[in-house]
Amino acid sequence: MTMTQSDLAIHAHGLAKRFGAVQAVSRIDLVVAPGEALGLLGSNGAGKSTTLSMLMGLCAPDAGKALVFGHPVGSPAARRLTGATPQATDLPDQVTPREILTYAALRYGVAPAIDRLTADFGLDDLIDRRVAGFSGGQMRRVALALAFVGQPRLVFLDEPTSGLDSAAQQAFRVMARSYVAQGGALVLTSHHWDEIEAICSSIAVIDRGETVLAGRIDTIRDRARITRLGFDLPPGLVPPLWLGARHDGARWQVETGDSDTLLRRMVTEALPFANLTLQPLELKDLIHHLRHEENRP
Amino acid sequence: MTRHLSAELGLTLRILFRQPGFWIPTVLFPAMLYAFFGANSGGGAWAANAMASFAVYAVLGVGFFQFGVSVAQDRASPFATWQSTLPGSAVPQWIARIIAAVIFVTLAVALVIALAHLMTDVDLPARAWGRLAAVCLMATGTATLMGIALGSVASARAAVPLANLVYLPLAYLGGLWVPPIAMPAAINAISEWTPTRAMGELAWAAMEGRAWSLQDLGLLAAWTLAAAAMTGLTTRPLRRRPSA
Repeated sequence: MTMTQSDLAIHAHGLAKRFGAVQAVSRIDLVVAPGEALGLLGSNGAGKSTTLSMLMGLCAPDAGKALVFGHPVGSPAARRLTGATPQATDLPDQVTPREILTYAALRYGVAPAIDRLTADFGLDDLIDRRVAGFSGGQMRRVALALAFVGQPRLVFLDEPTSGLDSAAQQAFRVMARSYVAQGGALVLTSHHWDEIEAICSSIAVIDRGETVLAGRIDTIRDRARITRLGFDLPPGLVPPLWLGARHDGARWQVETGDSDTLLRRMVTEALPFANLTLQPLELKDLIHHLRHEENRP
Repeated sequence: MTRHLSAELGLTLRILFRQPGFWIPTVLFPAMLYAFFGANSGGGAWAANAMASFAVYAVLGVGFFQFGVSVAQDRASPFATWQSTLPGSAVPQWIARIIAAVIFVTLAVALVIALAHLMTDVDLPARAWGRLAAVCLMATGTATLMGIALGSVASARAAVPLANLVYLPLAYLGGLWVPPIAMPAAINAISEWTPTRAMGELAWAAMEGRAWSLQDLGLLAAWTLAAAAMTGLTTRPLRRRPSA
């Protein structure tokens, strides 16, 4: 089935943004479908926050175009379909979660589903307490609930579990997966790679303001079936150069797309290795590997 | 629009009234200045005019300084950034801010009037009180919009000193502290073009039972429109730089 622009949660093409002398984003292309969770990855200053700001309609791109379900970002129709978290540390001290959730629901023109949000985000003991004195994790739970109060079809989450304890992180992942399974679209940034893998079906890697790698995680894994071999060698013995191994401080490691051939040669050449382990690369290392391969002259 | 406005007003009033550290000084300050400098201006018409001057000064202080200029601080807050991702235009937020300003102005002006009754022989017909209330209402709109306009272009750090630089001279130039008749001729010539002079003239006319002059009404309307236009122009394009 072919999707049209109005079916896509996000269709962004050639987004660019400059702040004075700094080219924060030079070319971003993104497509997010309903029922898809996209992880936006990149180092600090890569352009993730600027990209999110443009997608949320907080700053206008200098070039390019972005649509939310066919509506220009920042338009009234796009805002009605979109949810986002405020920075958790900045909620007004004087109001309670119930009051601020009710306020946001009124802005969206929906009935505030306080009971459901209280259950989903563990707000039972907090819902009628003023925000002043909340811990960072408690504030973050309220902030996350605010992203979902308007029954949005697309949600932007910037470091959603920062400050949450592990139980709350786990609960959030369950809730996020359920939202996506019901057809919601998610765009999130996170420094937790396990969180990206647990929630997202796709990733987009941003580097120096450009999308350098994008696609479904399973497709990327299929495209590069890289295995990491770990082994020990007798003290003082250095592996031959053809192996391309490096020592990580504890063990020798090799990343390869053809572990069978490599292992056969290690055996044929009588390399005295021990404690061999083979494991697929974690997403973080896989992306690092792919980027390294791309940049190789 | 009504639903959005009630949401904004509810949130704004909750935040403000639950901060005694904000609203008590805001309401008390004009009355305190009036008690020190305005209530001893004799009796009769002088006392009524001094009371009206400090009522207008209360409007300026609360509307321009406390509500308008605080836009600069709000603009720098991430919570305000999140609010701007929600559906709906910024207009109900401005209206809620002006209504909140009217409520606080009413309290501040009421305190000035109560002090005038306690400390002077002010005795006015109901019509004069009604006209003074109307002037305060008009002046609240103008003062708050002027403050919002200034708060929209100034940074959070610069807004308060910049506001002091505008608000205190405007109070003096408008004749709210010193009657225009006691001003040097050059200052008086400038005074006649200020919004505070127009507010003062309208308030004094109400106290003396004179008709409002079209020139003063026109001047106040022109300042209001200019402030509204500047607010519209400066708040429309969002050019916030995201954090890294």
